[in-house]
This record gives sequence, C-alpha cells and structure tokens, in this order.
Amino acid sequence: MPEVAEAVAGATRHLGPGAILKKRWRAWLRAIHRDIGYLAVGFTVLYALSGIAMNHIDDWDPNFHASERTLTIAPIPDELGDAEAARRIADAAGLTGKIDDVFRAGDEVRVSFASGSKVTAIGTTVTVQLRRDRLFFRVADWLHATRGKQAWKYIADAYAVLLLYLAISGIFMIKGRLGLRWRGATLIVVGLAAPIGYIVLSGGPGAQTTERVATRPGEADPPKPAPPRADGITPLPPDDDKPAARH
Amino acid sequence: MRDPRRPDLDRYPELQKAWDRRQFVKSAAVGTAFMALGGALVRIAGDDLSKEARAEARPDGRSRLPPGQRALDELRAMGGEEGSGDARSFKLRVHGLCKSPFEIDYAGLLKLPQVEKTTDIHCVTGWSLIGGLWKGVQIATLAEKAGVTSEARFVIFEAAHGYTANAPLKEATADAAMVTYRLNGKPLALQHGAPVRGLVPDLYFWKSAKWITGIRFVKTDEPGYWETRGYNNHADPWKEERYA
Repeated sequence: MPEVAEAVAGATRHLGPGAILKKRWRAWLRAIHRDIGYLAVGFTVLYALSGIAMNHIDDWDPNFHASERTLTIAPIPDELGDAEAARRIADAAGLTGKIDDVFRAGDEVRVSFASGSKVTAIGTTVTVQLRRDRLFFRVADWLHATRGKQAWKYIADAYAVLLLYLAISGIFMIKGRLGLRWRGATLIVVGLAAPIGYIVLSGGPGAQTTERVATRPGEADPPKPAPPRADGITPLPPDDDKPAARH
Repeated sequence: MRDPRRPDLDRYPELQKAWDRRQFVKSAAVGTAFMALGGALVRIAGDDLSKEARAEARPDGRSRLPPGQRALDELRAMGGEEGSGDARSFKLRVHGLCKSPFEIDYAGLLKLPQVEKTTDIHCVTGWSLIGGLWKGVQIATLAEKAGVTSEARFVIFEAAHGYTANAPLKEATADAAMVTYRLNGKPLALQHGAPVRGLVPDLYFWKSAKWITGIRFVKTDEPGYWETRGYNNHADPWKEERYA
C-alpha cells in the first residue's frame, strides 16, 4: 500500500496521527480490503468449489470416479491354487496390472490389484470395482474437512479471520447513498434475511428435540486378543459397560 | 415500450454504465431463479421411483418412502474416513455386556448363519435405496453367540478411525438388522464400507456404520460421532428425526 501511504502523507503532512486516522481511515480500510481480497482468492475458490461439491454429495461422489461392472465366468474350483484362480479372474476382468493379494473366504475369491482395483468372484459372477481420484476435488474436499488435521486447522482459522475483515470492512468502504445510507444497508438486510428467514420458516435447530444422554470419559485400550482359532473366532475377556476412547 | 424507469441516456450518457449494470444484475437474478426452479421441477416431475415407493405400504402400514425422501436406484457414496477395505485383515469384536465376547475374522463371519433380506435404507440427506438385497449375519445372531446379558439396552457400532453410532438394542437386533458384506449379489465397494458394514435399515443410514470393527452392548446410551454433532440420537426416518 505505498501509494496510499504517500497520498496520506502528502495530504495530511500538517496533521497529527489522530487527525490523519480520522481523515483518511476509509482509504486505509479500502487498501487493506483490496490486499486481503487478493490473499483470499485461492482460499475462497478452494472452499467455495469444495463446499458446492460436498453440498451435493447425495447427487455425486465429489472425491472419486467409481465404477462397477459384473461379468460371468466358469466357477473357480476350491482346489485351484490362488495364483491360477487370480489369473483366471484377472483375464476375465481384462486387468493386467500387478496383483497385491488373493483372499478366499466362503464362496468368494477376492483379488486386489496394486492399482487399487478390486475384483471379486462369487460363484460364476465376477464384480470389477475401479476407482480413481477426481482431479482438484479430491484434494480440495480433503482440505475443506479440517477433522484430523493439525496445522491446516489454524490456517483455515486465519482465513476465516481474513473473511471477517473483508465482510466488516466492506460495510464501511463506501460512504453516502451507495454505502450504509441506502444501497449498502438494503443489501445487508437482504443478505441477513436469507439465513434468518430459513431459521424462522424451518423452525430452527430446536424444531426437533430428542433425549440426549451424556457421554462418559474413555477407558483404557483393550487387552490384545489371542490368535484366532480355525473357525475364525477368538474368545475375548469380558469388558465392563464403559465406552471406548473417543477419537 | 420504453422502460419508464430508464434514465434519458442521450441526455445523461454518464449513466449508461450504471444502467447496463442494473440490467445485467436483473437478468442474472432472473436467469438463476429460472434455472433453479426448472431443475427442481424436472427432478420432481420425473421421479417415478419415489412416487411408486411412496404409494407402497410396509407390513407395519407405514409408507415405504419416509417423508422428505426421494428414491434412488443405487447407493450414494457419502464420504467418511475410510477403513482399509481389506477382507484378509478384517476383524469384528463383539463385546461389552456379554458372557462370551469374541472377535471374528471375515472367513469366520461367512461361516456363521447367513441371511439375505430385501430391505430399504434411508439417508438423512434425503435419498433412499428401495428394495436392496442385503446379505450378512444378523446382529441378533452375534448377540446370541456372545451371550448378551439382560442388562444390555443399547448397541454401539464401532468403526474405522474411532467412528461410532448408537442404536437401541431392540432396533439393532431387529430381523433385518445385520452386519452385511454383499448388496444385490455384489461385494460392497470401499466407499460403501467394504468389506463389512452395519445395517440397521429402520434408522437413518448413518447408524449403519461403514468399515465396521466392533459391536458393543451397553447398558447406558452413548451418542456417537454424528449424534454428538447435531444429528438426532434416535434417527427414525418416519418421524424425520434428522437433527438433535
């Protein structure tokens, strides 16, 4: 903001600091608003687009392109080795990548590929599940949800403070009929009417009530279980009626 | 016809920009409203699946489609911190107020008595999946195997990354409530809770914990992840118990 400082210095050389602030505060407000506006561009685009993406999570998957297809093959005999079973399934699915794991349980043969693709044969039906990240949104949605993040939580807080400055300074940037005397005040009221109107019409958060039971503090980690038996079941020591630790 | 509010732009050309801007803002507002309304109308008018489900009654007399829901033909991925999705390393702890708590792996789970139920699920965000064929092990079966004591009143579903969801014992051990690993003959996809998720179809779907790791029987209710973040503790879709 050097040009503002120069202008302020030139026009107010004969005034004291209090008088300068009183005379030129709107110019400072605008200059800071402008620069914070530039700073906020990246954050605003990121939060706005990921916000829209996640608002409509019941219409699309904002994080991944996922696809699933099924096809029919000859049954995989139980006595067939894992490698050969996986080869038959991969051939049927038309996948050639590296196989990470072959796991059999019950009537299922699950083949996991290094690419993340999963192919499962159940009897004669093979289900191929593929998934890849959505460009931009996978990362933007991840950043948008601050849960489990340390530094980013405080960076997001700082951005929120900048937004507060933009909102509040915006009220006072322009004087006269285009400012708070008419247009600005009218638009502020219109903007406030949307959330207030929604709260009034919907009944607000108190419209539905339910019995809430307080949680209790967490318990210590459970003891390590013994190795599983052949039937896949491992007996556990009894635990008392205390909640598990919260994360 | 000339707009009477239009200033005499020949006489005051300096007002041209302001007038153009006003016209642009008006057109943009009308266009946005038109598109939003049009989209909503198309969605409502073309939704035969919802109409059919709404007209159909469940055995208990309630509509198959609870109020405020629309029917979809497939599950939607609703996010969440995913588990590994790996069947080989899957373990389910059945514990709490029971005489014989146990931990079971995926192969062991498939050896227990299996059920296949055609049932509907309802997401709190407003969509429902009608008539999915779910396969798994009833929670009642697991409760019986663990010897749940008479003190137990609630079930806490435990899942990857510390997620929990609570449900009254009666609803969690209802006929269609299960831990499930297959929908419509196909394994669950990772985004839908693979390899195994909970299923409590008569409560909103967030109670049906994805990437399930444990089932705990308790005497005192413990609101879970969403229940402590403003969502309803009980979550009955027919009473629209969405928020706390």
